[in-house]
Amino acid sequence: MNGHPRAAEPAGRPVLVADRVSKAFTSGRVRTQVLDGLSLGIEPAELTLISGPSGCGKSTLLAILSGLQRVDQGRVTALGSDLGQLDLRALEQFRLHHTGFVFQGFNLFPALSALEQVELPLDYLGLTRPQARERAVQSLDEVGLGHRMHLRPSELSGGEKQRVAIARALAKRPDVLFADEPTSSLDAANGQMVIDILHRIARAHGTTVLCVSHDPRLIRHADRVLAMEDGRILSDTRPPDPAAAPEGSAT
Amino acid sequence: MVALARKTLLYEWRRFLPAMVAIGFAGLLQLLQAGLVLGIFGSASVYITGSSADLWVGYPGTQSVNLGRAVNADLAMLLHMDPAVAQVEPFYWVDADWRGPRGTGGESVFVSGIDPRADALMFSRTLAPDLRALLREPDAVVIDRADIDKLGVRVGDTATINGQRVRVVGVGSGLRALGGVNVVSSLDTARELDTDPADDGRPTYLVARLHDPARADAVARRLRGHGGYGPYQVWTARDFSRRSVLYWMLDTGAGAGVLFLAGIVFVVGAVITSQTLMGAVAGSVREYATLNALGVGVGKLRWVVLEQAFWVSALGLLGATVLGVAIIALARSQDVPVVLDIPITLACIVLALGLAAISGLVAMRSLRRADPATLLR
Repeated sequence: MNGHPRAAEPAGRPVLVADRVSKAFTSGRVRTQVLDGLSLGIEPAELTLISGPSGCGKSTLLAILSGLQRVDQGRVTALGSDLGQLDLRALEQFRLHHTGFVFQGFNLFPALSALEQVELPLDYLGLTRPQARERAVQSLDEVGLGHRMHLRPSELSGGEKQRVAIARALAKRPDVLFADEPTSSLDAANGQMVIDILHRIARAHGTTVLCVSHDPRLIRHADRVLAMEDGRILSDTRPPDPAAAPEGSAT
Repeated sequence: MVALARKTLLYEWRRFLPAMVAIGFAGLLQLLQAGLVLGIFGSASVYITGSSADLWVGYPGTQSVNLGRAVNADLAMLLHMDPAVAQVEPFYWVDADWRGPRGTGGESVFVSGIDPRADALMFSRTLAPDLRALLREPDAVVIDRADIDKLGVRVGDTATINGQRVRVVGVGSGLRALGGVNVVSSLDTARELDTDPADDGRPTYLVARLHDPARADAVARRLRGHGGYGPYQVWTARDFSRRSVLYWMLDTGAGAGVLFLAGIVFVVGAVITSQTLMGAVAGSVREYATLNALGVGVGKLRWVVLEQAFWVSALGLLGATVLGVAIIALARSQDVPVVLDIPITLACIVLALGLAAISGLVAMRSLRRADPATLLR
């Protein structure tokens, strides 16, 4: 064990709750029901992994739980707020103050250094210059990039770019961190590093990390794994012994 | 605040270069066009702007200096009687026919008969005292250096005006006329050259300097409408000059042409600039979407685009200024009449900034594609 006591049962109230949500997309005359009456609760301060084949609706579920997309039916509650009741601006404010995002593509501005990438959202959060600087440096240190924070994306490797993206999300000190296929475009070693960082964030900061991925390497590191297929949750499991895969070990 | 707009502009300057060039050239074209038009049509009032008179007295309804008719010389008395008036002198404007010594044929010239004294009002700003002194000789005339070839003379040559012999005693500059050639002579010489029996030795205008030029409007008003001097009208120099320039601009349709061209330049510039900015936004649309996912509002992102448009225009205008100064210097050295003043320059800058703002507003539309949901696959 790495010293963290592990609750056998989910602790506290769920941070994210989906209550019989449905979502369909219409493309031309074809209507695809992606989610159909799905209910789900995501527990705080742990790394939850939603895995499943592509097209199973896991990214849509992430978009809905994070307030990026609205549901057709049902209700989504995040941190006690009913997302369906919030208008566009309120949703932006909600995301600004409570959520972080990590995407498969790193989406870093080519002109900005790693430090500036991380500082940018903090400016909009209303932090002072020195506060933003301090937090950004802290976050970059945490993802192991303290020594490379003045480099631009073109001078960073793929793994380093994803770590900058994680630092950017982390520096906001979000309650919930959403990650969409964060390891898909990374090699084994970098993928492993990113998984470890995400896991550590959940543990060290008490952040709820919701990760969507079809990468099997992640399963062993998750506190909870939801297997999805055809818009439904097939299984909801907790890997028996996360300490079996100590941090830093390769797959 | 991380200067996203500026840093992106510097880092990807090649991407923004077309927009900078477009705005710069649009601004420069507007400015040079305005400068040329004002310069050319400003020549219509060179008699007024080149002189230090505050009031002009001429025939009622005169729309432009070159259309004046003779007035009663006694009007000088009326002017002198007003305590605000410091100095009065007549001005003769004679439409005449020039024949040069080298067989250049007839040339339509405008003879300006002025008081050649050093402290006189007419052409005090364009003719130096030594040149004026030369006009005291009988039959002496001064021409603009840009007209030397047209008139086929050199200094010291003789020519005939309205059949009478004149001698070119010097060349000045800033005397170019619109639709003809200006020839300056003394009052006496001009009276001799005026063959129109209707003029009968009477001056075309009387001009006056006031003790306090700021009171020109009030003095002009109270000098109007006195009986016993025949038909006359009093204008301030400013009004009469504007009247003359506007007459030429509207009479030739040049004003409409200028506005039309300005409109085209504006539209072309806006299209190029907005396309470039849209391309730049589209190139970073995923990054913008990520910022939006992180909670940075669309409104804030729009500001980034607008700021980018502003910097693009600022840099474009900077380049245009450097180029513009060089071009204007070249034009001046070639006696091309270009007139630029602060209001016109400011108007052109405001126009270019407006162009950038409109382009930025158009480019904002491409932010609509920055939907963070599309980042999830």
